[in-house]
Formats: sequence, C-alpha cells, structure tokens
Amino acid sequence: MNPTLSHDMSVVSLITGASVLVQIVMLLLLLASLLSWYYIFLKIFTLKRATRLADDFEREFWSGSDLNELYQRAVNSRSSAGSLERIFEAGFREFAKHKKQSGMDISVLMDSTRRAMRATYQREMDRLESHLAFLASVGSVSPYVGLFGTVWGIMNAFRGLANVAQATLGHVAPGIAEALIATAMGLFAAIPAVVAYNRFAGDVNRLATRFDSFMEEFSNILQRQVH
Amino acid sequence: MTYNDITPNERTMAGALALVMHLLFFVLLVFGVSWQKKQADPVAIVDLWSTLPPLPQPKVETPPVAEAKPPPEPPQPPPKAEPKPLPKPEPKPVVKPDIALKEKLEKERKQKEQETAEAKKRELEKARELKEKQAKEAEAKRLARDQEEALKKLAQQQAAQAAAQQKLIDEYKGRIREKIKRFIVEPPNLSPGTQVEFDIVVLPGGEILGVKLKRPSGVAAYDNAVERAILKAQPLPLPPDPALFKEFRELNLQFRPEQK
Repeated sequence: MNPTLSHDMSVVSLITGASVLVQIVMLLLLLASLLSWYYIFLKIFTLKRATRLADDFEREFWSGSDLNELYQRAVNSRSSAGSLERIFEAGFREFAKHKKQSGMDISVLMDSTRRAMRATYQREMDRLESHLAFLASVGSVSPYVGLFGTVWGIMNAFRGLANVAQATLGHVAPGIAEALIATAMGLFAAIPAVVAYNRFAGDVNRLATRFDSFMEEFSNILQRQVH
Repeated sequence: MTYNDITPNERTMAGALALVMHLLFFVLLVFGVSWQKKQADPVAIVDLWSTLPPLPQPKVETPPVAEAKPPPEPPQPPPKAEPKPLPKPEPKPVVKPDIALKEKLEKERKQKEQETAEAKKRELEKARELKEKQAKEAEAKRLARDQEEALKKLAQQQAAQAAAQQKLIDEYKGRIREKIKRFIVEPPNLSPGTQVEFDIVVLPGGEILGVKLKRPSGVAAYDNAVERAILKAQPLPLPPDPALFKEFRELNLQFRPEQK
C-alpha cells in the first residue's frame, strides 16, 4: 500500500478496489435495490389506479343508478373493472341467483351474499398487497447485509495493518472507506423500501376500509330490496 | 377470474424508472461528490524559512553495479602473424656425382635456412603470446577499475543521500525548535545561563505523547513556560517522508532564554 495520503477516493475506485466478498455483497444489494424500486414504481401505478377506479365506482354507485344496469356493465367490462366493482358484481350475482329461488330465508340469503363479497374482497386485498412483503424484507435485511460487507472489509483492512510497523490512519482509511460503501449501499436500498412499504401499507389499509364499509352498506341496500 | 391487474406497459415503465433512478444516483455520486478533500493546514501559522525544506526524495534506487557500461570489447588479438611459408626447396636438378662438395654445401645452406625460419616462427609466436597476455591484463585492470568506480559512485550517492536526509532532519528539528520557541512566554529576570532540557515523545501525526523534564533549569517558572510551549506547539512540523519519522520519535530539546 502506498503510504502517502494520495489515494484515489472516487466512488468507482472504491467499488472496484474492494475485496471479492464485499463486491458480491454490493452486487446483491444493488439487485435488491433495483428490484425494490421496480416494485415501488409498480405499486405506485397499481395503487393509484385502484384508488381512481374505486372513486369512480363509488361515485357512480351513489349517484342512484340502477343496480341491474351497474351489474351488467361490471360483467361486460370485467377485465378493466376495479376491486370495488368486482366485489359489487360478486355480491349482486349471488343475491340475484338466490332471489330467483323464492321462499328463501332472508338471513341465509344475506349470509351467502356477504360470503361471496368477502371472498372477492380477500382476493382483491391479496392482489393489492402483493410485493409488499418483498419491500418489507429488503427494508429490514439489506442494512444487515451491508453491515456484513463492511465488517468483512474492515477486518481485511486491519489484517493488512498487521505487518506495518508504523500504523498511521493512512494505512487503514482507504480500506475502511471501501468497506463502508457496502453499508451505504445497504442503507440506500433499505430506506426507500421502508418508506415505500409504510406508505403502501397505509394506502392498502385505507382501500380495505373503503371496501369494508362499501360491503356493509351494499348489504343493507340489498336487504332493503328483499322486502 | 382471469384478469391481469398489471399491464405490461406498466411493468416496462416501472423497470425503466427504477433503472433511471439508480443511474441518476450513481452519476450524482460519481460526479457530484468529491471526497478527496485538500488537507487543510490545521494551524494557520506561516513559517518563515530562508531555504525551502527539500522535497521528499524519491526512493533512490541503488544503481546496479553490473549496469555500469558493459566491459569494453577485449582488444582484438593482433592478426596472427602468419609464419612465412618456407621457401620451397626446389627440386634439385640431378647433379653430377662429382660435385659432392657442392651438394654438401647446398645441404648445409638448406638446413641453415630451415633453422632460421623456425627461429623466426618461434619468435613471432612468442611475441604474439606476449601481446595477448598484455591485452588480457589490461582488460582485467580496466574491469577492476570500472567496478571500483561504480562502487565509488554508489558510495558517493549513498553518502549524498544520507547527507540530504541529515539535512532534512536537521531542518525539521530546527523548525520544531522554532515553533516551540514562538510559544514560550518567558518569565522576567532570567539569568542568561539558564538552560532547560526536555525529552519529548512524538506521535506520527506530530502530536506529542509525552513531555519529560530531563534537566531542570532551576527556575521553575521557566521550566513550566517551556513545557506549556511544547504542548502548545502541537502538531509539530514533521518531514513528509514517513521513513524519516523514526528520527523524530524521541526528541531531546534544549532551550535557553532569548538573549535580549
């Protein structure tokens, strides 16, 4: 090692100069970061769209249009329907089926309707929550992975110090800087993942509350129709 | 239900955005952040020096002795002195037997001739051998001289280097003394003969690990003033070449009051 203090400290040289294990760790973190950002953007798009579709459907639903007409439209545009529309469709289908068989107990009718809506609701929630687990694990694990790379790099830096008679800061500093890059990358991957996870979990929760309350209100409307 | 919630369009968009984000960050990191800071001098004191301390010498590579000129070509041995071809004994015309004496004389002459030719040849050979021997000797002498010269040169160079190092060491010792001296606040009424001696242990950065009063001056106030000055003078100026640091690890410094 050159004892003069003129080490090249640019980011590129720090990365290329690191040991193999640290480089593997950095590669891993880079992949995790790329993937988590991919999911972050994907989730931004899908959640935005889900909220917009739910807004649209709620507006339409509460503007007093005919339930049968709404149902027909939901069936026709199934592929582009929002979650709320699908819940409505499942519930109304079940309700209409049972209504044809007259002489059915009203509580049984409402129960099966509600079950049908609940099943669709679960499916929709699962879809909305997909990939959130990945963001959560990136957010919690990648700092540790980066720390591991750093510890390894610092171990190497100090081992290189063992056969130097005069240990100056100039001997260890480049090695430590190299190693710390790994922690920086781990944090770089983790921070957006954690922030995005919290944000998306909140968004999904609010959507879930809306779906829940819609299901309750819709059940009430259907029950009133039976009488 | 067979619906696809995420359109492929969105997928590519998300992937591209993620890539762009990372690229932007990387570019910012590489070109935006300069981690190589100029080392600022922690103490803003201007040292006035008549001569600049010599720059840290580049590592002197010992000039390899063997490299000093290939030994000169051995002098070509003189072209072989070709022994003169003996005069061909001409075939004698058959002489008449009655001139036996003449024949005898002829024979003698011939023998003589042959002898002289051989002697000549021997002489020539001897001369050649002598010449060769001389050349060889000269060559050996020259080689030895070359080697000696190279050695001398090397020694000279080493001596020069050592001298330069010594000069550097002395300069820096002087600088250290000067720097400390600047911080001494002398108590009044010192007798001119006062002298105090300190042993200092220095760390590589120029920090002082320990100060020991070796020989007190007898005036406690002056001793204390010097000790304070030594501590205040941190970091001590050290030569930039870390190899020289061992000369500065333990310093013995003597101070006497400024003559007014």
